[in-house]
Amino acid sequence: MTRNLIRARVAREGFELEVDLAWDERVLVVFGPSGAGKSTLFEVALGLHPTSRPFVRIGGEVLDDPDLPLETPLEHRGLGWVPQEGLLFPHLPVRDNLRFGAARAAGTGASLLETAIEVLELGPLLERRVDEISGGERQRVAIGRALASTPRALLMDEPLASLDLQLRARVLPYLLRVRDELDLPILYITHDPDEAMIVGDRAAVIDAGRVVAEGAPARVLWSRAVLPLSESLGLENVLEVRVLEAAADHAIARTARGLRLTVPCPAPLTPGQTLQLGLRAQDILIAADPPGRISARNVLEARIAALEPVEDGLLVHLEAGDPLVAKITRSAADALALAPGGRVHLVIKSQALRRLA
Amino acid sequence: MSGSELLSMTGLTLQVALIATTLSLPFALAIAHALARHEFTGKPLLQALLALPMVLPPVAIGIGLLLALGRRGPLGPLWETLGVDLVFSWWAAAIAAAVVGFPLLVRACEQAFGDVDPRLERVSRSLGLGPWQTFWRVTLPLARRGVLYGVVLAFSRALGEFGATAIVAGILPGRTETLALGIYSRVQLGNDAGALALCAASFVLALSAMLVAETWLRRPSRRFGPPPP
Repeated sequence: MTRNLIRARVAREGFELEVDLAWDERVLVVFGPSGAGKSTLFEVALGLHPTSRPFVRIGGEVLDDPDLPLETPLEHRGLGWVPQEGLLFPHLPVRDNLRFGAARAAGTGASLLETAIEVLELGPLLERRVDEISGGERQRVAIGRALASTPRALLMDEPLASLDLQLRARVLPYLLRVRDELDLPILYITHDPDEAMIVGDRAAVIDAGRVVAEGAPARVLWSRAVLPLSESLGLENVLEVRVLEAAADHAIARTARGLRLTVPCPAPLTPGQTLQLGLRAQDILIAADPPGRISARNVLEARIAALEPVEDGLLVHLEAGDPLVAKITRSAADALALAPGGRVHLVIKSQALRRLA
Repeated sequence: MSGSELLSMTGLTLQVALIATTLSLPFALAIAHALARHEFTGKPLLQALLALPMVLPPVAIGIGLLLALGRRGPLGPLWETLGVDLVFSWWAAAIAAAVVGFPLLVRACEQAFGDVDPRLERVSRSLGLGPWQTFWRVTLPLARRGVLYGVVLAFSRALGEFGATAIVAGILPGRTETLALGIYSRVQLGNDAGALALCAASFVLALSAMLVAETWLRRPSRRFGPPPP
């Protein structure tokens, strides 16, 4: 028996969600394009679709079972919900927003309120009004509020989607701290493959109301079932690098497997710091011969592992120390006579390396 | 007309309006919340019925109340058993004022509840608060400006209520004679100076109430406004 299980069939006008998801991993990322049914799945977990008689077990606890029958109302589910737009209570200062759900844990002596304030660094915000703090801070408070209610699990509904790229990179490290420092199951919904790769222990890809792939994020996000979605999802390579040297406008960094990259750094970096980098498949140029003098800062040698035709081009799976995926046109592949096993040079502008965290 | 007479009539008017508003507030909150949050069959009919006291002739409402509260009406035996005699008491005046002000109160509250994002109520429940606690700690505080606006409107309406009150409470000096009833009886008796004095008192009360409403309650609040992007 898995610790977590969501089995539901929800029919609405012109849309049907049918899922049977079972998992033991701590962080399940549900990933898919908008309109795929992610939000409906989330509502099922929150118990907002009782008429569809779902079965829901989260963190080993059965919340809904149509055969008993059991339907746990929202206030007794013990789920820490982090909504997309934060949805902080506008009439309460940050402190009272955080305390709002803490009463649930009162008396058990196990409140996570203090932990939440510490991990999310909310101390300086406590006395502020929620319309005085930034979008990124609001999202941190929303995560803190959910934690302070001492939930059995966290349910995060695109918690970074309302933030721009820069803010996302600022909030993501806090989210990872919550994941790593607290032993809480997390159901995490996102349409962003970077996030799915970084956050998830397991990923489920959902499209048109069905789960089309499930498993380890790195494997699932490149699986054949996901390819039709790749356009809408903007699938990317994700690399974890450690900064070796930092200069004024760029830094030299290296992956654990030895891939060296020049990355842009709009904000100062310090040697030893680790970064998560995202790289779109179409931002990798493939050269059959070593390029001469060129403005792009990254030229890597690689071996072609496999070629995979997709609807609008060709995915080139590459081995460059780390596995990378490039996307090119078929005519380009023909012109270069690319074949598995062949050696090529990869050209990557440092600006194409997007810092995720 | 003596100053003490004027004072006691003003006091009675305020008392009637205050009791009327206080009595109707819990019912208005419950009905307004249901209207703002739920769809059900017969909702338009309910809304139309709720609006009736605003558009019916107040005298007709007075007659309806007389039937409902009088010992000779269909509920007469009940009042007899309970030993209460509401008709021609200041309580009757308060009930009449409550009925005519009720539509204003319900409309304002419905609007105020409708403006509260229902997702905030869901968040509250997800944090462990039941529907009742959520109402007190999230919905009502967020809607309070609109609710108070409705309270002041209904209160002001009650201050000036005449038609229904005259029927069901009569014009009994010292017992049910509010400012509005006092103006009428003085005009009937040809006491124009007395009528004008009462008009002036009514004017001051009504203007004060509406100033409170327009100054503090209608203005969009910075505090409760949407957060900046």
